[in-house]
Amino acid sequence: MMSLRNPMMKNYSNQCLLKTHFLKVPTFHPFFKFNTYPYASNRTQTLSFTINCNLKNKGKNLLSQKIVLSEASPPPLTQDNDDIINGGNVPVSSKNKKGLYGVVNKLTKKVLQILSNLPLAIGEMFTIAFLMGLGTFIDQGQKPEFYFQNYPEDHPVLGFFTWRWIFFLGFDHMYSAPIFLGMLALLGASLIACTYTTQLPLIKVSKRWSFMHSSEAIRKQEFSESLPRASIQDVGTILMGAGYEVFLKGPTLYAFRGLAGRLAPVGVHIALLLIMGGGTLSAAGSFRGSVTVPQGLNFVVGDVLGPTGFLSIPTDAFNTEIHVNRFSMDYYESGEVSQFRTDLSLLNMDGKEVMRKTISVNDPLRYGGITIYQTDWSISALQILKDNEGPYNLAMAPLKINGDKKLYGTFLPVGDINSPDVKGISMLARDLQSIVLYDKEGKFAGVRRPNSKLPINIDGSEIVVVDAIGSSGLDLKTDPGVPVVYAGFGALMLTTCISYLSHSQIWALQDGTTVVIGGKTNRAKLEFPDEMNLLLDKIPEIVESSSLSKKTDSMVS
Amino acid sequence: MIFSTLEHILTHISFSVISIVISIHLITLLVNEIVGLYDLSKKAMIITFFCVTGLLITRWFFSGHLPFSDLYESLIFLSWGFSIFHMVPCFKKEKNLLSTIIAPSVIFTQGFATSGLLTKMHQSVILVPALQSHWLMMHVSMMILGYAALLCGSLLSVAILVITFQEVIQTLPFTKNLDSLNKSFDFVEIKYMNMNERNNVLRKTSFSSSRNYYRSQFIQQLDRWGYRIISLGFLFLTIGILSGAVWANEAWGSYWNWDPKETWAFITWTIFAIYLHTRKKKKIEGVNSSIVASIGFLIIWICYLGINLLGIGLHSYGSFTSN
Repeated sequence: MMSLRNPMMKNYSNQCLLKTHFLKVPTFHPFFKFNTYPYASNRTQTLSFTINCNLKNKGKNLLSQKIVLSEASPPPLTQDNDDIINGGNVPVSSKNKKGLYGVVNKLTKKVLQILSNLPLAIGEMFTIAFLMGLGTFIDQGQKPEFYFQNYPEDHPVLGFFTWRWIFFLGFDHMYSAPIFLGMLALLGASLIACTYTTQLPLIKVSKRWSFMHSSEAIRKQEFSESLPRASIQDVGTILMGAGYEVFLKGPTLYAFRGLAGRLAPVGVHIALLLIMGGGTLSAAGSFRGSVTVPQGLNFVVGDVLGPTGFLSIPTDAFNTEIHVNRFSMDYYESGEVSQFRTDLSLLNMDGKEVMRKTISVNDPLRYGGITIYQTDWSISALQILKDNEGPYNLAMAPLKINGDKKLYGTFLPVGDINSPDVKGISMLARDLQSIVLYDKEGKFAGVRRPNSKLPINIDGSEIVVVDAIGSSGLDLKTDPGVPVVYAGFGALMLTTCISYLSHSQIWALQDGTTVVIGGKTNRAKLEFPDEMNLLLDKIPEIVESSSLSKKTDSMVS
Repeated sequence: MIFSTLEHILTHISFSVISIVISIHLITLLVNEIVGLYDLSKKAMIITFFCVTGLLITRWFFSGHLPFSDLYESLIFLSWGFSIFHMVPCFKKEKNLLSTIIAPSVIFTQGFATSGLLTKMHQSVILVPALQSHWLMMHVSMMILGYAALLCGSLLSVAILVITFQEVIQTLPFTKNLDSLNKSFDFVEIKYMNMNERNNVLRKTSFSSSRNYYRSQFIQQLDRWGYRIISLGFLFLTIGILSGAVWANEAWGSYWNWDPKETWAFITWTIFAIYLHTRKKKKIEGVNSSIVASIGFLIIWICYLGINLLGIGLHSYGSFTSN
């Protein structure tokens, strides 16, 4: 890298310049001469003082954390070029290596160049966004008849869109359709290509210090100012105080701040790739299943879980047997359900309890890579005493009425069970709190709470509701992708936050007694000029005795 | 019912104060710049902010949970987010253009929230089991702050588009009747001239070229503000979506379910990611990125209200037909 001394200064014509109509003309005051400090007047002496400064860039750059203000020779200077963002700047170094290798090499570069093309990536993102939107408008995962009915051939939607399109393109299961997954894969490839060809070289470029040797180049920056009667050392000190890393070489100065803000987008891309990779792993290597278990019964994990992809490999934990000790519901004072709880015992193959936990919504159980969620509930049976006989278990059935609230019902026959029109007592329940009872004619008879032991007399028989037995709806899954995806989430949050930082660069040049200072920033373009003006106000003006000034004059020229 | 009375009072105060603010803005925008009035509007916005904050706190205090559980509460929180974004540049410098855009946004969300359409939802409801999590605060607050910031930013982009295309329309022959509209924009532009600059320019150049110069200056300023606010909103949105995914992995058994709300939040994220990328390339910056941001503006509303209107999917707590 050291040998890459590449004076691209001319190349650096600023495209970002729009205004600077009110450029200040550097004024030269003959009465006040530039006063160098004692140490500065002796230019042969190498001076280096270091100030520690905390730069928040996570050790990504190998720059020393110290600010070096020295006259010693700096690292190579190259102007970092914004054009590099545009992609396609793949350094071509193929020296016509003959044969297949060369061809492959060329082809790879060509492909990388195409993939890292920004308009292509934008197009891919638009397509994906469009497909996702379409996926929410077309009902997903319905039976074929549904699509035949809703997208008929004789009345096509928008004049062309029929069920044939849906089945051909797989839009009935959009988020696993080849076209959608293909687009995602293409976007992933673009991400990799862009990170490899554009962003990683950018890191290298950002690490270099670049000086500007002509005041013209500095004046062309987005922000520029001329300070008469100032010294560049003062500028350096003030900038250091403001958290900049300052590099000084002879009459030129380069300072930057917030380099992390420039490098973080690389991290964003890598985090996105991590999430995509984790998502693929999840899709290919998971097990899923759901089960509704009445209180007091058991099930084996392996019976419930089904593989989702070719990488799904069962583990020993699949032999675990799970016993539902108790299912209960918590209620608010108004009677609404506040929480569902299931007390689970995990038994190993020998029947020994290895774990016990009460799970609820938002509080799943994790054991050996398996996660058990509380997701659903129902009422499985009603325990009643009829005329002090029993208890009988009456199975409850879900009843479908308008609205999505659950309703369960059961029926206790009264009289001759074998007669064709058997009548009896109906019992309905919305939750485990209260049971509504109706008599043979269907008239409301009363409401009883389970466990209240309060009998109710209907059609001559005395009924006691002993208990309502709920069943717990559990979802089970194993997902090897979660750690990877979570790592990606963490990295993405962090790098997005860091990306908000603005990378500011400042150049200055001592031109006689005047310091020409210019700078640019990549994000906080509005605040930057104000901030600069505040800093520049702090720079002391140098008042001078004439004898010294002559000396310095001769030295400067 | 101290609670409901207090809530009513606060709602009405904030609503009427904000209407006054808007009329002040219109006056200063269209007629004349009166410094005293401007100060007044600034103070009024602060009053509104405190009223909305008070409203949220009373709701929180009386319902016992964070006021994020349904559409009404989230709308109020959205208008609170708008007023926050209004306050931030307020302390920095005169940034009149932002408040001109944000103040009507606040009144629209407030008005919508308190309108008859949603009266049923005013009484605070209990939290359903799935919402009882510490992630509620993080997820919902981040999402809504993100929406508020992105809406502000994309409104600025819409303003850029309007100003740019107005220029195009002007060159067409049939636009004499649009002149009155144009004049209002000229006022806006002139407002952004600093006094000396104005004198300078008037001395130096003819009016027409200075007009173009200030138009481009103004567009650039709008653009930079928009970029800054959208980046901030994007940050909030990212954190919001990711925290939502982590929460979903705790509550629903999967970090991503392709639920309509989730999908649309992801679409929003994608669109604004495109916006941020268009700004990387100098050639397609400017109008193109503004168009992308304006698309984003529509998509946020689809995501925020449209999906709730349908009341489908796992995020149905916020729907109009709850209960």
